[in-house]
Amino acid sequence: MELAILTAAPFLLALFLALPIARNNFTQSAQTWLSSLLMAGLFLWLLSAFPRLQAAGPILQALDWLPALGISLSFYLDGLSLLFALIITGVGALIFFYCGFYFEKAHEHNRFVIWLLAFSGAMLAVVLAGNLLLMFVAWELTSITSFVLIGFKGKKDKEAREGAFKALFVTSAGALALIIGIVMLSAAAGSLLYPDTGLRLVADFAELLEVTALHQHEWFVLFALLILLGGFTKSAQFPFHFWLPGAMAAPTPASAYLHSATMVKAGLYLFARLSPVMHQNGLWTSMLLTVGLITMLIGAYFAVKQRDLKGMLAYSTISKLGAIVAMIGLPGQNGLKAAFVGIIAHALYKSALFLVAGTVDHATGTRLFSKLGGLSKQLPALFVVTVISALSMAGLPFLMGFVAKETLLEAMWKYSGERAGLVMLVVTASSAFTAMAAYMLIYDVFLGKAKRENHIHQMPRLILLSPLLLALASLCLGFLLEPLVIPLLQLAVPKTFKLQLFPGFNEVFILSLVILLLGLLLFLLRRWLIAQIAFPLSGDGVYHEFRLAIDWVGDQVLRVQSGRIRWYLAILFGAVAILLIASGALFDVSAGHQLFPSNFSLSPADVAKVFMLALSIVAGLFTVWVRVHIQAAIAFGVIGYAIGVIMLIEHAPDVALVQMLVETMVTVLIILMLGHIPRSVRDKMSVRLGGGGRQDKFKLSIDLALSAAIGISVFLFSLIALQNRPERASIASWHLNNAQQVNANDVVGAIVADFRGTDTLMEIAVFTAAALGLLSLLGKQRYIDSPFLPAALTAATADTGGKWERDAEPLSTPFTRSAAYIVLAFASLISIAQILYGGNGPGDGFAAGVTLGLAVTLLIVVFGYNQVRERHKWFRPEEIVRLGLGIGIVNALMPVMMGRGFMGYVQYDKALGIYDLVGSFGLHFNSSLVFEIAIALTVMGGLWMIIEAIAYDPAAIENGDSPAKEESALL
Amino acid sequence: MMDFVFALAIGILFGIGVFQLMRRDLIKVAIGFAILFAAVNLFFIAAGAFEGEFAPYADNVAAGLTTSDPLIQALILTAIVVSFGSFSLVLGFIYIISRRYETVDSEDKHVTALKN
Repeated sequence: MELAILTAAPFLLALFLALPIARNNFTQSAQTWLSSLLMAGLFLWLLSAFPRLQAAGPILQALDWLPALGISLSFYLDGLSLLFALIITGVGALIFFYCGFYFEKAHEHNRFVIWLLAFSGAMLAVVLAGNLLLMFVAWELTSITSFVLIGFKGKKDKEAREGAFKALFVTSAGALALIIGIVMLSAAAGSLLYPDTGLRLVADFAELLEVTALHQHEWFVLFALLILLGGFTKSAQFPFHFWLPGAMAAPTPASAYLHSATMVKAGLYLFARLSPVMHQNGLWTSMLLTVGLITMLIGAYFAVKQRDLKGMLAYSTISKLGAIVAMIGLPGQNGLKAAFVGIIAHALYKSALFLVAGTVDHATGTRLFSKLGGLSKQLPALFVVTVISALSMAGLPFLMGFVAKETLLEAMWKYSGERAGLVMLVVTASSAFTAMAAYMLIYDVFLGKAKRENHIHQMPRLILLSPLLLALASLCLGFLLEPLVIPLLQLAVPKTFKLQLFPGFNEVFILSLVILLLGLLLFLLRRWLIAQIAFPLSGDGVYHEFRLAIDWVGDQVLRVQSGRIRWYLAILFGAVAILLIASGALFDVSAGHQLFPSNFSLSPADVAKVFMLALSIVAGLFTVWVRVHIQAAIAFGVIGYAIGVIMLIEHAPDVALVQMLVETMVTVLIILMLGHIPRSVRDKMSVRLGGGGRQDKFKLSIDLALSAAIGISVFLFSLIALQNRPERASIASWHLNNAQQVNANDVVGAIVADFRGTDTLMEIAVFTAAALGLLSLLGKQRYIDSPFLPAALTAATADTGGKWERDAEPLSTPFTRSAAYIVLAFASLISIAQILYGGNGPGDGFAAGVTLGLAVTLLIVVFGYNQVRERHKWFRPEEIVRLGLGIGIVNALMPVMMGRGFMGYVQYDKALGIYDLVGSFGLHFNSSLVFEIAIALTVMGGLWMIIEAIAYDPAAIENGDSPAKEESALL
Repeated sequence: MMDFVFALAIGILFGIGVFQLMRRDLIKVAIGFAILFAAVNLFFIAAGAFEGEFAPYADNVAAGLTTSDPLIQALILTAIVVSFGSFSLVLGFIYIISRRYETVDSEDKHVTALKN
């Protein structure tokens, strides 16, 4: 449980800071302290877990998630996850502190901190997840938050948008491969562990890491390659490394945190995590080694060519990631120690350097080498940080980076596999280039000649605290190996090892000195050297071509989108018909059944049904044939009522009631809308069918053929479906027999409000969404200024806006006015009765909501929208919907608090001790009743919104001829 | 026998709905939509109609009477309300098109230009 809370804590703080209360009342420094203290607290908590791990081994905590599939929400803390989690929280605390001074605008800071907190939660989940699938979910979350953070300046900055997209594109493409790999691996592990059961996923690390035979599984090559692909893309390995430099468009704290210290190490974590079961296979290790070394060399080589401070840091990060990947790939897990030491050292010096880059940018307004120089006098503290961190990066004794470099060289020195000489050469060369980059960082930025009168922008002193602390750690950690680093590594590294600050004058130490000198030589030759650097193949170019190709495919697909309904229908139904026929499904199910009836006897009820069906067909044909729109609308109403009657005959009184009410509403809506469309516009369209020229006749015959074909296939489909349906689903009998348990007589009502209440909750939300969409589309003409509409649309609106004329007159006479109020009163009574007694007979929340909706529609028709809105304070659709959905959600959550699960059944009357009192009125005050009220309110409010959208005439308001004014003028 | 009649009616109504969808007159298109919804709801009704002789009330069950299938009815109830919501959106689109371009013709040049 603690691990789950630990992971959730950053998310919760992010949510809290996103609330208006926190945003408006907490100052930037309060938010800074909150976020960095949270991270520091998590860091300390993790440290305190250290002795427990030493004593009792890995901590495993699981909550049920999908118990049926054997997947749990499990968290796992061992040495490896502890190492990463300490980096995430420790570096995180410093980064959050730094953010407080990096951003000058409070709202930007708030937004950034929210996303960065969300990221750190996701990243903690990646390393603390005890289950591959949970880890994958968190992995994707880090990609998404990284996307937002890279594109943070997206509105103004095209580069940021491009970079964000590129990063997301590459990492999520890799993640697609990864999830397939993960599922295959878990299935393979499942088949090895439980050979006799069917498909079973084994994704929990605690179980998975015991499957030692995994590397012999027949699928190994496939899932190993897929997982490698996922890790390589995430950790910016060649040839996918190009997204990382693009990601430098992010604000610097994000670059330091995500793209150097944590997220890009997720791939390394995955490789190290799976190493125990994968490393025996030569494919796994040789892929890691090869790709890692190539990346190491290329990254170091390109780093020195960069003209931008952050660009250089990005490429040198790529190089270091490559080095660590290669370490993990050393056969026999010999490089794990070096890999972990490298991860720690890199997190310290590289985030410090990133923060320096950010601060330099902040102070001088540029990050270009060509414009920087001689800053050591103006920014002495930064200079100290840079010297320590850059020398740690170069590997100068006795900084932390030196320990990392020593262990790396030592591990490589011991490597005796294929092409050991070449490997050593690559390592030496890239280390020399890294040293060269480190010298350049120190000399070209802080020493040398000042390039111009550098204007130094004043900064708060505290901005220097985080980089200084990081540099201090790089400086001291090497001397604290014995008490701090070694115990941690002992938990994470599976074999015994030695780790010393100074192992003595051996070959490795000499090599390390040679590298430093070689780097110095390269540094002196840098002008000549940089001019020589060119590389023909760039991953970025390939990516660009690929994106163009995708765009091209998109264009081709769009050509199919002709905008012609006939074409769409033909494709849609044609595809269904081909599927039905080609798969043989149609013939399979119809086999052995007599499709066409042999006797034509009808019971009296059947005669009524047949009559109603015939009526609806005639009405349908009438809507086709008739030219006047209002007649078509009324004919459509007839179809709906006929179906309503059929529902009644089929013993479905609740449905019939709602159907008739909704049908009335639909007809009223169509007529209301027609009233707002001028006759001249409508008349242009009321032409006789098949009138016009030969072309029209031809089109008409195509339409007829198409709809006849579709009609016939639907007929056959329904016939077969109806004749093959099961007698009655067993769940139906269960519902029938258990409705009493929720004190309902009406089983349909019980299903809607209780058994399948979540469905209903979703459904009223969908209904609200439709109403809201309509309101924002039509209401209050907000759309004219909408930035989302193409210019042509707004122009067209402006053209017609002024000369709009109203045809519809309000039907306002004394009789209609009083009638409208009487109807409203009755409708309210009926609705209340339906809500209260819906459990016993026909009627429920839907019916109540629609009834009141209809009554208010009448009111609007009579008085006009404006007057209803002005006169009646209760006519506030938005508030009503909010109230309804709110009650619905609270009602769904209340049982959770009482331990009954989401949407559980609660008898509030019993809980309050008023069961008998309420019962004497034939009522039950329970969660179903509350939910019926919520349904009624939501449906009513949604209906009002829809009416508002249709009946609201903005032109009338603008022209000042609102019905309300007319009315008051008359009085 | 009733299965056959129901299927026939569903097929015809569906065909009418599709035909209306292809009209140039957008108001007819909207009505076509609504007819399609009606046809689908009718299908569900027909699927739920099974020798039930009484409404699905618990006291009817207790009295040992054969009731109709309550689950399908609950689902149709939901379907009716949702299809009404989407239908009102369709109406809204038509309304806004008519306001902006003073036309209800789906092949009007303004309307067809929208897809670019």
